[in-house]
Amino acid sequence: MELVIETNNLTKRYGALTAVNKLNLKVQRGSIHGFLGPNGAGKTTTIKIIVGLLRPDEGTVKVLGHELHGGKNEGFLQTFREQADSRLGIGYMPELPKFPKHLKGSELLDIYGRMYGMTEQQRKEQIPKLIEMVGLTGRENDLIGKYSKGMQQRIGIAQALLNSPELVILDEPSLGLDPVGMVEVRELVKNIAREGITVFVSSHLLFEVEQICTDVTIINRGTALASDTLQNVSGLLTGPAMIHVEVAQMSQNIINAVKSLPFVSNVTQTGNSLIIQVTTHEDVRTQVSKEITRAGGIIVDMSQKTSNLEDVFIQLVSKDQEGKTQ
Amino acid sequence: MTATNRERPRPSWLPRFWAVVRYEMLWNIRKKKFIGIVIAAFALVTVDLALPAFFNVSENPDFAATFSVGNLVFFLIALVTVMNSISGEFESGTIVPLLTKPVSRTTVFLAKLFAAFVIIIVTYTVLFIYSTVGGIVVYGPQDNLQLVPLALIGNVISTFVWVAIILAIGSISKSSLFAALGGLVLFIAFVFAGSIIASVSNEAGALNYVPGGGATGALNVAQRSQNITIQNITVSMNSISTGTDNIGTNLVNYARYPSATVNITRTDVFSTPPKVIQLYTESIGLIALRSIAVAFAYILVFLFIAWFAFKRAQILE
Repeated sequence: MELVIETNNLTKRYGALTAVNKLNLKVQRGSIHGFLGPNGAGKTTTIKIIVGLLRPDEGTVKVLGHELHGGKNEGFLQTFREQADSRLGIGYMPELPKFPKHLKGSELLDIYGRMYGMTEQQRKEQIPKLIEMVGLTGRENDLIGKYSKGMQQRIGIAQALLNSPELVILDEPSLGLDPVGMVEVRELVKNIAREGITVFVSSHLLFEVEQICTDVTIINRGTALASDTLQNVSGLLTGPAMIHVEVAQMSQNIINAVKSLPFVSNVTQTGNSLIIQVTTHEDVRTQVSKEITRAGGIIVDMSQKTSNLEDVFIQLVSKDQEGKTQ
Repeated sequence: MTATNRERPRPSWLPRFWAVVRYEMLWNIRKKKFIGIVIAAFALVTVDLALPAFFNVSENPDFAATFSVGNLVFFLIALVTVMNSISGEFESGTIVPLLTKPVSRTTVFLAKLFAAFVIIIVTYTVLFIYSTVGGIVVYGPQDNLQLVPLALIGNVISTFVWVAIILAIGSISKSSLFAALGGLVLFIAFVFAGSIIASVSNEAGALNYVPGGGATGALNVAQRSQNITIQNITVSMNSISTGTDNIGTNLVNYARYPSATVNITRTDVFSTPPKVIQLYTESIGLIALRSIAVAFAYILVFLFIAWFAFKRAQILE
């Protein structure tokens, strides 16, 4: 599988603080890759290195086949090294984007289009389409200084798609949006990916990543804690899973029968309900159901709480924090 | 399906450069401060033209275009044009989307510089035309108007010394306030230092090598060539400043009196009455050429500093 972003031992320090620490990130072409981490985890710093706004202290970055930085080994020559052409295929929307207030929305897109080397014909076709796509029709000739935060976010998405990019990098795209705007942004991201564009989206919102991403990297304190498909990362959860059972009439026989199952580690009874802790992440509801029925119980309701990204995230980040404090 | 980077044709440099020029020009033209300064400059030229007529001064200067709004206006135009050209992008956060477009920082820097050059030259051209036409209206037909473009070029070079200094301060500090205050402090410091050195020291020649007014002296009109008309030479034309701020005037003087000399003097304010002490004499040609060389040296050095700081800047905002 082709990689559109590849970092090797990427490290960035701000004085004594290591914002990104030997990060190895791999983003596959065609994926919607979520970059998940708490505030201050190093997400924005990593993205700024990828788009050329910051230089790494160590490690390498390859974006769309272009080697961007050579670390400190290049010394003074690094000043003169800038692969502006590598950005031809990248669309980037910064966190809380800020655009020149003196420009109109359509002027901004026109000027940025020229910077991408788009012809007049290409700009004439692409700009109205994007303005409609992000819902700014009728406001495109207003000065950006008069745009609300949500509208600035929308024009930010439009400018990120202007050059028909092969890689779109969105840094916290939902930040500052109302709930309706957040849903719209998620739909937009899905639509972008349907056109075959790779989307790399950073977020601290677990449900957002869970809803739109195919792959995910979890980062904390500048280090990747997990990086794989969403499904595989969600399966990383260790520790007890839970099954909730409600029976018509609770009895000691039922409790003993459940306890006798080899994968059950603990059973808690509350009225006609049982919370069963199991040591496996496989679906064992059939075996539990059979045992309860054999013990004379009638099952009214049963559910197994499967691990989700939130559980994995909390577990990985907590473990990481514990490890660092020890 | 989107084109991959390998399939994408590499656009030529020039349209991308023009895109940044356009971006910068729109910013400058719509800047309220800039519009304010231009209006103020026009007001000053108007007053400058109207006052002598108001006081019934019936002089007919042979070169009215050397209007005396002063170097401060040129400095202020330089200041508002570039004080936030680079630093303002950092302060407002607009540097982030700008530098993530496929234009190199060197292209952005050159385009911003070019836009500043165009803005300044257009503003001066309009001011000079206004002043020249105004001079004709107030004083009647003027002589030597063919030298107006020379004065304009000289003033643009003078202004660009300050443009380079202000850009360098803004680029290093990433603060428009620092760029504005730093430029202003240097401008005032050189004006004061020039006045003090010109009063107390015999080393006024050193002022030729710092930005600003330079040494002062008197144009030796007795030595000018015989075939140039001498009537209606105004007193102000005899007073010469040798520094980088006066390239326009000195170029005009050199064009008119190529073999003239300048007596560099200082005024001893401690003697009673204050007396003028002559320090040395040099040709107007040397003064004009040296001030251009010094100006270009400062322009190149400070533009290099500004470019280097911009190129090395890490975008933490």
